[in-house]
Amino acid sequence: MDPEACTACAECAKVCPVVKPDEYQMGLSSRKAIYIPYPQAVPCSYILNMEDCLGTNPIACGKCTEVCEPDCINYDDHDRIVTRDVGAVIVAIGADVYDPTEMDEYGYTRFDNVITSMEFERLICAGGPTLGHFVRPGDQERPKRIGFIQCVGSRNPAIGRPYCSNICCMNTIKDTLLLADHYPDVECTVFYQDIRAVGKSFEDMFQRSKEAGTRYIRGLPGDIEENPENGNLTLIAENTTSGQIERHEFDMVILSVGVGPPKDLAKVSSLLTLSKTSDGFFMESHPKLKPVDAPTRGVFFAGFCESPKDIKDSVCQAGAAASRAVALLNAGEVHIEAITSVIDADACKKCGVCASVCPYSAITWKKGEVAVVIDAACAGCGNCGAACKFDAITMRHFTDAQYTAQIRAILAEDPQDKVFVFACNWCSYSGADMAGISRMHYPVSNRVVRTMCSARVSEEMVLEAFRCGAPIVLVSGCHYADCHYISANRQTVQRVQRLWNKLEKAGVRPQRLQLEWISAAEGAKFAKVMAQMEELRKTVTMEEIEQAKAALKPKPKKPKKEKEPAAVAG
Amino acid sequence: MDSDPKGDELRVGVFICDCGLNIAGTVDTQAVTDYAATLPDVVCAIRNRYTCADPGQNEIKKAIAAHRLNRVVVASCTPLQHEPTFRTCVAEAGLNRYLMEMANLREQCSWVHPGDLEGATRKAKDLVAGAVARARQLHPHDELTVPVTKRALVIGGGIAGMETAIQLGDAGHQVVLVEKEASIGGIMAQLDKTYPTMDCSI
Amino acid sequence: MATMENFKCMLCGYEYQELVEEGEDKERSCPKCRSNSIRHLKARPSQDKTNGKGKKAKQ
Repeated sequence: MDPEACTACAECAKVCPVVKPDEYQMGLSSRKAIYIPYPQAVPCSYILNMEDCLGTNPIACGKCTEVCEPDCINYDDHDRIVTRDVGAVIVAIGADVYDPTEMDEYGYTRFDNVITSMEFERLICAGGPTLGHFVRPGDQERPKRIGFIQCVGSRNPAIGRPYCSNICCMNTIKDTLLLADHYPDVECTVFYQDIRAVGKSFEDMFQRSKEAGTRYIRGLPGDIEENPENGNLTLIAENTTSGQIERHEFDMVILSVGVGPPKDLAKVSSLLTLSKTSDGFFMESHPKLKPVDAPTRGVFFAGFCESPKDIKDSVCQAGAAASRAVALLNAGEVHIEAITSVIDADACKKCGVCASVCPYSAITWKKGEVAVVIDAACAGCGNCGAACKFDAITMRHFTDAQYTAQIRAILAEDPQDKVFVFACNWCSYSGADMAGISRMHYPVSNRVVRTMCSARVSEEMVLEAFRCGAPIVLVSGCHYADCHYISANRQTVQRVQRLWNKLEKAGVRPQRLQLEWISAAEGAKFAKVMAQMEELRKTVTMEEIEQAKAALKPKPKKPKKEKEPAAVAG
Repeated sequence: MDSDPKGDELRVGVFICDCGLNIAGTVDTQAVTDYAATLPDVVCAIRNRYTCADPGQNEIKKAIAAHRLNRVVVASCTPLQHEPTFRTCVAEAGLNRYLMEMANLREQCSWVHPGDLEGATRKAKDLVAGAVARARQLHPHDELTVPVTKRALVIGGGIAGMETAIQLGDAGHQVVLVEKEASIGGIMAQLDKTYPTMDCSI
Repeated sequence: MATMENFKCMLCGYEYQELVEEGEDKERSCPKCRSNSIRHLKARPSQDKTNGKGKKAKQ
């Protein structure tokens, strides 16, 4: 369809012979294969769903083209990939409303007169399938006794949704007020765990709902029964205020469904290297101080995909995200941290390993030629620096010399008491911070050193820690899906595998080297792993430590002169 | 630049933060400060109540001038929070931003080891020793500057995406809005009335 | 082609077999203790010199 040419005259839909459930109306009415999603749609144009349409090639139907005066229907139109350069990305991919099919105890699939709060919206709406005449699906009669069940798909760890969806209490309160306004004879009863009415003027709405006659019963129903004669429903619930098991009969039951992360989240997440919190929503840079910034620079969050929130809060966050993006766009330029890789042309043996491990293709190399780093493309993960066997690569600000000095200083005294930890900047180090912010306690034995990526941890760095007497070395990084350098941490796995082999060959217990993926949200996992490492440390004897020190001594070779290329003008 | 490191003469200043009682409640910060003063090339070790506050930052700037410091170690909270703060602080005192190093005594020490004064203090000393050793190897750097394309992409045309796009447009920027459905509006467009105003969603 | 391969958890010591698809990209954790320290035990004699090539016998 050509949205510019379409006049939304509706002639096409009148002749279309295909009938499908209308998604906008929650399947409560039907649409054609050619249709407008709803009258106020933007763009205001009919769309042709090719999966539903009969006529492609050869044209089997073609009725709509015959009546389309502006001639805007094109069966051969197809999806196109559009490329645009942008300086900021705002992720506002929203949420998915909970489908209560799996929670059979409320009979959503079994009983006609059990509906969701989303279906209620369509049934009460003047633009809905019943033109706003509120009837129950079973017999098209107007229900008088209506029961609401709260927290369907929220605050329920058993179905993997332990969080509060934020909006459902107020939405139900709104529904009861709407019903009281439209039909004064309606009796509403709400079964709830807690009523969360904490926004501006929300408590006032709650009080008005009670004054309008809505009964609030604390306790969620455990069972539902249908009277097959008249389609009425009986809810059986423990009223936790009185401690009594109560039975209440209704004409209709509305499940106040929660809202969860959208199913497209994983796709967008891997595209922009974002992380999610344990509840499945996007993880922000800082829960208090950078609530709309993603850890990936230039990416910002707005709306439900970051955490459950209502319209007002979504609008507030949208403004905040826009403001953060404007600050970036107006600045017109960004400073790239001076942490890129630098190749020493004299030391380079032209092997090309660096180019093969670079996740960004930021190193160009041709057989027989010195490798060259493209500065603007380098993200500074350090994978090439760790992979180079000839000490020809220096990671600016994270040099081998800096790490060696740091390892030696930290392990200078009583190394046998210490668990040596390499933690990647984006996930594991942040996870360690998260443990701190959450005041989780763990054994004091660990000493953490930060690397940009776990793939920066070279074999030499691990061996150096053992040579300095570390009983345990832990390499930690992002989970596979979260790696902030695309897939650099796969190289970490290979390096650790090689180290296990090497240690074993040298007679060093390979268990003394450990590997863990700890995300920025997994403070609890960091604390747990630290406790496990301390247990493991206690099993390492002084003899083992001394044996490793001797066995892992570096082969004598020319001392390396590392010059970190300094790029300061003044 | 006068304060750039010259030759082999390293002059390290260490600034230990109490963070009120956040760090000092668990770590003996005075003992850490005394220890820091004994580390190689450390010419001054100063304890602050709040290093990130103006008085703390001024102390760093004063010390850079007075002791001709060419490396600075701040032992306080996580670098993920205050590294930009202290980089700017040393830059204002004429030192290259990359000659500042941090030791994380709060998120990764005092907050996770309450009640263990001895263990936490020992760990804090190690972290400071590591930071000083690293600082002694730091080099000055200039940052690369790249231009930003003055156009924004908004993924999602629900209430949050639409509002962001409008505000970015109001601010004079070109916006590309991507929506997977045929119409913008998102879940909100399916609602009848919305709280707390009880007006229509569309 | 998928092959059955041997793995060992370096934290708890649990040894197990798992079907490995060629070229698969999978995060591993111990079926018993959830640790990510999973060592890929190879049937072939260990090779120190492999360098990012020869995907098959690797994780």
